[in-house]
Amino acid sequence: MTDIIIILLGISMLYVFAVSRIEAYVKTLSFQGLLLFLLVILDIKNISWLNITFLSIETLLVKAVAIPLFLLIIIRKNEISREVEPYISQFYSLLIAMGIFIFGFAATFWSVRVGGEIKPLYFGISIVIIVSSLFLIINRKKIITHILSYMMLENGIFLLSLSVANEMPMLVNVGVLLDLFVGVYLFTIFFNKIEEMYDGSHIDILTELKD
Amino acid sequence: MITLAIILPVLLGLLSFFLKSRIVSRISLFGTSIIYLLIPVLKWYNIEWYWLPRIFLEYFQFDSVGTLFFLIMALVFAGVSVYSLFYFKENQLDAKREGIFTAEILFFTAAMSGVILASHLALLWVFVEATTLTSAVLIYFEKKKSSLEAAWKYVYICSIGIALAFVGIIILSIGSRSFGSLFFNDLYENALKINPFWLKVSFAFIFVGLGTKIGVAPLHAWLPDAHSEAPSPVSALLSGTLLNSAFLGLLRFQEIFIRADLHDFSNFFFLLTGFLSLMVSSVFMLRLKNYKRMLAYSSIENMGILFIGITLGQPGIFAAMLHTFVHSLSKTSLFLTSGNILHLFKSKKIGEVKGIINKDSRTGWLWILSVLSIAGIPPSPGFISKFLIIKAFWINGMGWLSALFFLFLIIVIYGMCSAVFQMSFGEKKPEEPMSKKLSYFAYAPQICLLIILLLTGINIPSQILDFLNSAADFLK
Repeated sequence: MTDIIIILLGISMLYVFAVSRIEAYVKTLSFQGLLLFLLVILDIKNISWLNITFLSIETLLVKAVAIPLFLLIIIRKNEISREVEPYISQFYSLLIAMGIFIFGFAATFWSVRVGGEIKPLYFGISIVIIVSSLFLIINRKKIITHILSYMMLENGIFLLSLSVANEMPMLVNVGVLLDLFVGVYLFTIFFNKIEEMYDGSHIDILTELKD
Repeated sequence: MITLAIILPVLLGLLSFFLKSRIVSRISLFGTSIIYLLIPVLKWYNIEWYWLPRIFLEYFQFDSVGTLFFLIMALVFAGVSVYSLFYFKENQLDAKREGIFTAEILFFTAAMSGVILASHLALLWVFVEATTLTSAVLIYFEKKKSSLEAAWKYVYICSIGIALAFVGIIILSIGSRSFGSLFFNDLYENALKINPFWLKVSFAFIFVGLGTKIGVAPLHAWLPDAHSEAPSPVSALLSGTLLNSAFLGLLRFQEIFIRADLHDFSNFFFLLTGFLSLMVSSVFMLRLKNYKRMLAYSSIENMGILFIGITLGQPGIFAAMLHTFVHSLSKTSLFLTSGNILHLFKSKKIGEVKGIINKDSRTGWLWILSVLSIAGIPPSPGFISKFLIIKAFWINGMGWLSALFFLFLIIVIYGMCSAVFQMSFGEKKPEEPMSKKLSYFAYAPQICLLIILLLTGINIPSQILDFLNSAADFLK
């Protein structure tokens, strides 16, 4: 069961590569949060109930509901709906996504052979999510897409930390929450300010400072 | 000690944020800077007391290298808090804005002391993240379009970097399963038990993550923007202490590598990025048009020097520690003086500033002396540190690299000095009226910092030498 969930997480990443509507991004983000919640419930057993409650709240309420809702409100308020002109078109992006998947699995096989001690599927898919979010950040131009891709990066890191959650102390959960805090708190504040000051939400407007 | 260093500034910051009273915020600012100066002294006389339960204190430590970095931070912070009085007056901040500024600067400092004192890798990471959040607001303090752009780039790039560092921490915890602890002391003791493969993979991530925060090339994209757009006292804090505290994180990580006998691997990356930083800064130094950006590129250069220094064994590490001290103090003095220049000429362009000495001789001379100090012209201790690094190259049998090192240093010094002399000398425009004298707060911190540097350069006080030696002993 957990394997299916993790594979679904990987597929959701492919879907993000293919779509151009921003609301679809947000919905995928929320879906990923839900999958992570299921994963926490099904797979984490050896830690205290307090920790599990914390992780469930973090995934279900924060990742799956609160952040996507918040972002949707911003998007509707600012009337941003489509990602125009990514640097590399959707078709080639998908090809690159395929490359990232191959890289992720190759890296996992190699790591298992050399280092052992990991859950291969967890490790592979989280590497894929992390690398492909970085690619999305480079490829897209809208600030809102940058924020969304950052959130997906966070999801990838969360998946990776779940693979060691049974040994990880509470402190690491606090770390994940702090990262979410960065996401919502600062990004949306800055995003609103940039909208207000620059009258646009394209990163091409942020070119005043250079050498 | 930890209560004083971390919790007190946060409480005082909250007070000045909510009370919005000028007196409260100034008392908080100066109280904190005096206490910060006292903490290394107390540590020197081994005075310790515990107000907090031990379980909490486990997560903090005050080791030799931490003491040195804390001392540097205390000196820089004291200078910045005196200069802030000038900044408040010149920008005519009302009591509310003054309270906000004080609160933010205190939160920022508390987060930095957390980075310095943390004894747990994940806790160090949390504090590094906290420095990003608290300083971003300070960069955007003047609420201009360009400062918004700088703050955005800073938050975004550093958040991604820090997220990658977190991946590194997770991977390290995979590798250290056999003893299952991320306390630095446990990691040092059991360094040989960590799976070398995972240790190397985690190094890649943590190096990129903390390297982004330190601002070494090629991860420096945010640094010139943030440093040039922040208010001058904040730029001084960013350059003089924030970069150091992130550097301390990497230094602790390098210690694990040395104990695990894998330092050839990590040294390669430190040397590579170190030289890359020197190259990038020397290339840009020759064509910069903004003097605050020039100082920012000089920070990149100096971080590169530190990276090179810690790869060169004991003498190199001593030199790097000394250089941290020199760089932080001189750069603080430079950034604070650049605040004076910005106030006098209302421009950040090198070409639009002429004849500082004629307009305000004290600012002009401070500007020149600080640059000479950071360039390492004797009697500045920067000369000793750079000389020791070149010597360490020869000791390690890499003498040919010292030629490259020397070349980049010369280019940077030429670029900086030519810009600074162009700005300082020359006639001021005749149509400009004489401006009124600046207050003493605009000079006093720089003068004090330069005097400390001069004393260190002529004859290192034995206390500072002990601090440096014990910090250098940290990495063996």
